[in-house]
Amino acid sequence: MVADSLVKTFNGTVKALDGVSFEIPQGTVLGLLGPNGAGKTTAVRVLTTLLKPDSGRASVAGIDVVARPQAARRVIGLAGQYAAVDEALTGRENLLLVGSLNHLDRRARQQRATDLLDRFDLSDAADRTLKTYSGGMRRRLDLAAALVARPPVLFLDEPTTGLDPRSRIDLWSVISDLVNDGTTLLLTTQYLEEADRLADQICVVDHGRVIAEGTASELKDRLGGTLVEVTLDDDGLAAAAVGALSGVGDDHDSVKREGSVVRVATATGPATLTEVVRRLDAAGIEFAGLQLRQPSLDDVFLALTGHAAEEAATAPKSKPSRRQKEPVS
Amino acid sequence: MTTSELRPASNSLRWTISDCLAMTGRNVRRLMRAPDQVVFTLLSPIMFTLLFRYVFGGAIRGLGNINYVNYLIPGIAVQTAIFTAGNSGFALAEDRGKGFIDRLRSLPMARSAVLAGRVSADTLSNAVGLFIIIAVGVAVGFRPESIPGLLLGVLLLLGFALATCFIFALVGMYASNVQTVNAATFPVIFPLTFASSAFVPTSTMPSWLRAFADHQPVTIVINAVRALTIGNVSSAQREQLFAGQSTSSLVIQSLLWALGIGLVFGSLAVRRYNSTSI
Repeated sequence: MVADSLVKTFNGTVKALDGVSFEIPQGTVLGLLGPNGAGKTTAVRVLTTLLKPDSGRASVAGIDVVARPQAARRVIGLAGQYAAVDEALTGRENLLLVGSLNHLDRRARQQRATDLLDRFDLSDAADRTLKTYSGGMRRRLDLAAALVARPPVLFLDEPTTGLDPRSRIDLWSVISDLVNDGTTLLLTTQYLEEADRLADQICVVDHGRVIAEGTASELKDRLGGTLVEVTLDDDGLAAAAVGALSGVGDDHDSVKREGSVVRVATATGPATLTEVVRRLDAAGIEFAGLQLRQPSLDDVFLALTGHAAEEAATAPKSKPSRRQKEPVS
Repeated sequence: MTTSELRPASNSLRWTISDCLAMTGRNVRRLMRAPDQVVFTLLSPIMFTLLFRYVFGGAIRGLGNINYVNYLIPGIAVQTAIFTAGNSGFALAEDRGKGFIDRLRSLPMARSAVLAGRVSADTLSNAVGLFIIIAVGVAVGFRPESIPGLLLGVLLLLGFALATCFIFALVGMYASNVQTVNAATFPVIFPLTFASSAFVPTSTMPSWLRAFADHQPVTIVINAVRALTIGNVSSAQREQLFAGQSTSSLVIQSLLWALGIGLVFGSLAVRRYNSTSI
């Protein structure tokens, strides 16, 4: 799958995609990571033929999605926050409908529906309408619907957004299995943990641009490998600590403060830790906590964008419906 | 080597028909699971039937020897058909809002099947609704002059209803939700169905209103169905009831209206459906 310099502007002003490029080798998973409004969903909509890009090129399994959309639709599966299932139909009827519209013959689609319901642990609920399904069951059926035609290329657009932790972990294991079967997968997510867990490669997007890419560990290495994190009693003390620690770490930019927490990025953890203790002691600054830890993707995001990913990601959750249309997402 | 390579291209006529049938089946199933919706759609025409048959009907003049209930039911039937057609707009707006249309767009199905399946299902539901309304009509005294005339009238009406579905479908392709479809169509549908010959002869209306009422499509279709079910009338009555037009002329005009509305709004709706994606 290739996205090459995709640009998409809404209403002439909002740049949802501002030259997004990435490539996903066959059989691998790319995590498109970013807050709401970063352009993740727009990228998925372009690659799944739902939206025409203003410029740039996009192809799936070697098929140009703009030039040959109908051929592209034959190799893709789409699930997630925008693709949907029919609430008035039963689980089985939903899968049979998708099978029929994928032009599987009657016997094949019935077999496929039964297999998928079984695989996604929905056999007991197969003949109930979706009105009785829980959020997690609905997402599993949505994913099953995307798999009916055994597409070699799969798009999962925020597959676990809005799910409770238990359902999220269930869905993760289902997705891991899929990936082991050799499906090429584009996964968008606001959850750093999700990308870390499922993706081979991660593209961090913000304001319609890819601002970083690499494996989870490569992105973490960008922060210098290890973090020394000092927790102080208040912001004022923390500011004083930043002054005391100037010059510690790998370069002049290594010391960062967030509220009453000061973080020092370093390649040499233990030595820096000792230096931090010595400096704070010399300055007479008492601290409440001190730890040496590996950076999380949250730290990466904060360092790359200047704002936290979760901060941007939590706000939209209070909206009444996940499925509400918003052009920029 | 995947099954997708083995699947034939979807542009063949056979797949188009199979996709249309699949979508019609899905839509019909949805309608059957929400019978309350169908009942509510029929509730107001049934109340109008009773209201005009028993409350206002006795005061309506200008029909000569024609029984008012025989005059009324064709009008009610056309009104019912138009209101029922509204579901095309509501359901499309709902499917779009819930992301279901996006799923369909990502499938290798015939693009025309979404609209075709919608208007087919709503026309089937219209056939059922008309059957019920006519049955209610018969219960309160409606006696069509001839059964073939009634059947022909119903077919004509279903054709018109199908065309009307495309008007609502077009609105449904733009509106963001069901309420918007309602708000956008009501101001048009209301005057068209009431400033017509549905309940009273247009000859009793002021001349400016009559000029509109006599020539707008809803009146034409009502008059065509009425002429088919009421049977022979004197030339004076024809002047009074049908603005002097012959039955065959009314039928042909109705067909042309249905064809014109279907073509114009159908192609606009298809264009809208295709324009919003690749």
